[in-house]
Amino acid sequence: MHFPRDHGSHPEFRIEWWYITGWLHAKDQDDCGFQVTFFRVRPRVPADNPSRFNPEHIIIAHAALADRQLGKLRHLQRAARQGFGLAGSDTGNTRVWVDRWQLLRDGQQYRCRISERDMALNLVLDTLQPPLLQGVAGYSRKGPQGGSASHYYSLPHLRVSGEIRIDRTARTVAGEAWLDHEWSSSLLETDAEGWDWFGINLADGGALMAFRMRNRRGGTLWAGGSWRDAGGAVSNFKPDDIRFIPLRHWQSPLTGAKYPVSFEVLAGPFRVRLEPLMDDQENDTRATTGAVYWEGAVRARSSGHEIGRGYLELTGYLRPLQI
Amino acid sequence: MLSLRHLHKAYRDSGERPVLRDIGLELRPGDYVAIVGESGSGKSTLLNLIAGLELPDSGNILFEEQDLVLLDDNARTRLRRQRMGFVFQAFLLLPHLTVLDNAALSLKLNGVGHRESQQRAAALLDAMGLSAHVHRFPGTLSGGESQRVAIARALAHQPGLVLADEPTGNLDAGSASQVLRLLREQVKSRGSIGILVTHSSAAAASTDRVFRLADGILRPE
Amino acid sequence: MIRAVWQALVGGPLRAAPGRTLLAMLAIASGIALGYSVHLLNASADTEFRRAALQLSGEAEMLIRGPRQGFDEALYPQIARLDGIAIASPVLEFQASRSSGEPSLKIIGVDALRARELQPMLLAGQTLPAADLFDPDNIILSAVAARTYGVAAGDRLDFRAGTALVTLRVAAVLPDGSHRLPLGIMDIAAAQWRFGLTGVLHRIDIRFDRDAGPAALRKSIGALLPEGVQLLTPEAENLRSAALTRAYRTNLDMLALIALFTGAFLVYSTQTLAMLRRRNQVALLRALGAPQGTVLGVLLVEGALIGAVGAAIGITGGLVLAQQLLAAVGTDLGAGYFRNLQAALHIEPATMLFFMALGTLFALMGTLAPAIEIAGMPPARGLRAGDPDEQVNAFPLLAGITAIGAAALLLWIAPSTGLPIHGYAAIALLLAGATLAFPPVAIRLLKLARLRLPLPHALGLSRLLATPRLAAIGMSSILVSFSLVVSMLLMIHSFRTSLDTWLEQVLPADIYVRAAAGGDTAYLSAAEQQRIARIPDLARIEFLRSRSLLLLPGRPPVTLIARDPGIGGFAAALPLVGTPAPLPENGPPAVWISELVADVLALRPGDPVRLALGAQPQTHIVGGIWRDYARQNGAVVMDLAEYRRLTGDRQINDLAAWLAPGVSVNEASGRIRAATDDGSALEISTTAELRKLSLEIFDRSFAITWALQAAALGIGLLGVWLAFNAQALARRREFGMLRHLGMTRREISAMLAGEGALGAAIGAACGLFSGVIIGLILVRVINRQSFHWSMDLAIPWLPLAALFAGIVFCAAMAASAGAALATRQEMTRAVREDW
Repeated sequence: MHFPRDHGSHPEFRIEWWYITGWLHAKDQDDCGFQVTFFRVRPRVPADNPSRFNPEHIIIAHAALADRQLGKLRHLQRAARQGFGLAGSDTGNTRVWVDRWQLLRDGQQYRCRISERDMALNLVLDTLQPPLLQGVAGYSRKGPQGGSASHYYSLPHLRVSGEIRIDRTARTVAGEAWLDHEWSSSLLETDAEGWDWFGINLADGGALMAFRMRNRRGGTLWAGGSWRDAGGAVSNFKPDDIRFIPLRHWQSPLTGAKYPVSFEVLAGPFRVRLEPLMDDQENDTRATTGAVYWEGAVRARSSGHEIGRGYLELTGYLRPLQI
Repeated sequence: MLSLRHLHKAYRDSGERPVLRDIGLELRPGDYVAIVGESGSGKSTLLNLIAGLELPDSGNILFEEQDLVLLDDNARTRLRRQRMGFVFQAFLLLPHLTVLDNAALSLKLNGVGHRESQQRAAALLDAMGLSAHVHRFPGTLSGGESQRVAIARALAHQPGLVLADEPTGNLDAGSASQVLRLLREQVKSRGSIGILVTHSSAAAASTDRVFRLADGILRPE
Repeated sequence: MIRAVWQALVGGPLRAAPGRTLLAMLAIASGIALGYSVHLLNASADTEFRRAALQLSGEAEMLIRGPRQGFDEALYPQIARLDGIAIASPVLEFQASRSSGEPSLKIIGVDALRARELQPMLLAGQTLPAADLFDPDNIILSAVAARTYGVAAGDRLDFRAGTALVTLRVAAVLPDGSHRLPLGIMDIAAAQWRFGLTGVLHRIDIRFDRDAGPAALRKSIGALLPEGVQLLTPEAENLRSAALTRAYRTNLDMLALIALFTGAFLVYSTQTLAMLRRRNQVALLRALGAPQGTVLGVLLVEGALIGAVGAAIGITGGLVLAQQLLAAVGTDLGAGYFRNLQAALHIEPATMLFFMALGTLFALMGTLAPAIEIAGMPPARGLRAGDPDEQVNAFPLLAGITAIGAAALLLWIAPSTGLPIHGYAAIALLLAGATLAFPPVAIRLLKLARLRLPLPHALGLSRLLATPRLAAIGMSSILVSFSLVVSMLLMIHSFRTSLDTWLEQVLPADIYVRAAAGGDTAYLSAAEQQRIARIPDLARIEFLRSRSLLLLPGRPPVTLIARDPGIGGFAAALPLVGTPAPLPENGPPAVWISELVADVLALRPGDPVRLALGAQPQTHIVGGIWRDYARQNGAVVMDLAEYRRLTGDRQINDLAAWLAPGVSVNEASGRIRAATDDGSALEISTTAELRKLSLEIFDRSFAITWALQAAALGIGLLGVWLAFNAQALARRREFGMLRHLGMTRREISAMLAGEGALGAAIGAACGLFSGVIIGLILVRVINRQSFHWSMDLAIPWLPLAALFAGIVFCAAMAASAGAALATRQEMTRAVREDW
């Protein structure tokens, strides 16, 4: 991978995302989780359509806030076809935007701005660690066939500061986040139903990531992950090194989907328990990406002690994921 | 000439008992008679038969050489219009016509011209002592005056038969005797046949002969 | 006490003659049923329209709308980027012509990603794969559209862009009821590309940010809008679509009003008669010691009950009638305005209650005056036998004259635009005034005339003159119904005659050619025009370009017609109203505006007017005002050459052609078709066909009014029947006496028929008089205000005379039929009855 070029967009690939998850704390408030994602998707449309509206690329953005007091996610989404300067993604460095939503990389800083009527996030994320290339030098396999894979790197331990507004109440926040940047043209094998993923900023400065692709029978099709210790040494896990053991399920009253919201995960030397900030962290993005999934703030515990915080993502539980 | 022969009449709703049984009566022009009887004795039925408003079950009604029983309704109606006159207990003047127009009605119904019928009616009303009232409306007249107008209407077209049904029933004694006197005078002076149906003995006494109708049978008194 | 009075006045008569009470109820029911059913249909159509419009505009707070040919899409990013705009959703909206002569389809091209924010129900909650949504070969149809064309998902559908063919695949059919109009939905990019509309938008829907100051935002939006593009609220947009049919629906409302009015009058007459009939009973009860208040109360309660039950029957009947009409002719009562609108009846309890209350109120009002009169009558007078009192009462005459005066005043101060409320109020007042004042006046005149009739009619006449109040009831019911019928006949006849003349003037050529039936996407190119111009079979050709033009604020766009002026110029070719303005040699180019445009913009010949045709708005001069029955939203005519000079647009939609001698229509049509790229797409009609079609549409629009007129006449005759039926009982002794005096049954019937005929003739004569005045109000005030078109008054004398004779005859029959019960038998006994 070459940076900063690979921070930018890769329009030749069919799908790409910049995925930020993290924990925030504000004065006199419980900690809460947040998630901001920008997708770039290329539908199959003829390129010879002269219309400036021709949807060669579509930019989709999601933002969610997990606040225990609300009991469920405060969720926003916005999507637009690239064009007219209203939505797009730059190559060369990170700049992806849809209307007034924007994620921009400027030096060692990311600036993220999300603004809607009933919620706004205005955050600065400082890069303190180098990119963590996932898989083999950033090439992450997603299945046994070898045809499904993505280009994938992570930026753990981003230092967050800024302001969030819910309805009319604004508060200053600070916290820690994790950014995934991934692009691919064939992400899922035909047999894949969805995946379970988590990324944890370990309290000691290390970073732990693991995922498993599930087949349509609920079994594990493929798995992967990595651990970068506080000293910067990276170990990549083989599929056999990883096991996800569901501990507790939660069923969404809204969609009826049943999610394993708490796991016991075996990943290399780790044996961690993932416990959600709250059970209802379901995202209904059927209007934009077409998917319903669970994406929530979790604590990682090991032998009773909290060893880090991060996010857990559970997809394909309502119906098999399609991209 | 009025001749009733073996008149028989029963109503379906009165059971088997006939209302009129074998009625016979011969009257000549100038005859002025009364028929008396209790309420429901059949007086009205007899009157209707004579007037041709109803038909008997059997028997004949001969009036001026025609048998009413053999005539159709139109012919009987024409005969009634031309040759009969009626006086009712309730006067039955048309409230929206003047006294003169009411009296002239029978003439006009017989096709007499407007002017002539007005003149003849006016003359008759004069004779009845009503010349002061000719342009008034019936609503403003007393009972006696009203009945005198009704008599004028009944006689204006010179009928051969005058039928009076309780003509004094709604009148006080003074008016009643005046009306009875006038009626008698007019019928007699024209040589008509007069039949007075009443249950008042005073009224009956003003006629030449009295017949009583009882149990459907007509007997001279 | 109350129970005894109720028993004597209401219970007893009800048991003895339930028919009379039933009739009074039916009178109310028929009025309410007619009014309610027309209202229901109207309201249902209206709701459908609003719902359809709302579904399309969704949750947008404002919208930007351009003319039919659209505006430059560059406006979209400018608007979207404005501070304070939360969502801007670009929309393409056009009528796509079908190739096979089928009706055109309204297609909206949307950016689904934008539209979902503002019109969440656009796809009726369906989630479609993104691939289907963006596929440029796809179209999504509403259920009504799929039914109209008889296609299902997966089928192909052909459209026409210019003269080229566009084939689309039906990707999905939305569930029934989600869109009630025939509608196609496409991706905006696909629609721009496939229909040759690249670079064009028709609409931008907008939602503001929470904290945006709408006033300031509106100002900054306004600064960006080119001329001819407007910023509207969704309400204004809804009104805009409703405005199309507003005038027609106003007329429907008027019909409902007329039906109600006729019904109300019938209630009044039946109740009056019912009261008069019971004067003896009331007098008896009063003599026995019943207080006046109790009697009055009982009578009023009875009236209200009759009204309530009658209204309930009427509402039920109205519902059934509306359902039948909806199934048979549709919500527009067959006029063809809301074609394909899939409507269900919208029954609102509030409206139902309103009509219920209306029926009860009418009955109460009808009862009030006569009830007060008989309850307050001295018992001694009431006990006397004979006809009810016929005291001369000046009240109706005075009230009537006041009402007529008020009507005249209303008309005098009536504004010339807006809804013709003044006109309707004047009609109602005039009708009420005529009903109250005309019969007494007519009877007085008749009395003065000292008419002399032969027996038995002399008797009838004298009775009529002596009992003006009873007579007036029968007369008035004829008056009301006849004047309504006369006014409608007058209006329709004037309209039809004017339309016929107009058609003759606007269709001078032999054949008329249209690029395709309906739709915005069909036209003939310059090359095709040249080929057509070279056809030797055509002696003369006039080309016509029509497009829409936003000109009148808050109203739908007007039609701009650019055409060849013809030999004598527009002053000769157009059906002008008034004199044209003298046009200076080097003045601005002239335009010729329709009456609507002249009314709304208050323009007169010679006035300047600015039109945004080309890049720069230009000042034109109004050459003259012409009458246009074809375009309800207004039209502006200008010289085609001038139009081309201003816009550079060389396309045309229509052409008119005069055939060379000896050339048949078929030959010429064939040549014209051969001269175009796709001749089968042309619609070619002869003048005769167009005229016939126009008149057919006209007749269909007014077909329903015949039914209403018939209903009005029926109700009027029912009034006569009731009046005579009510009198018959009181007159049995009169008939009996006349039988004794030698009148035949037939003569008595003839006398009654004569009375009825005379009353009807007077009523109809009065009705003719007031009807002509109302007709004038309809022609000169109401139509002018609702449709903004003038018409020449034409009185259909022959039909009116026939109708007059017919109604007099029918009234005679109704009168003798009404009295038949009393004359049929036992008249001879009546002479001995004592009351």
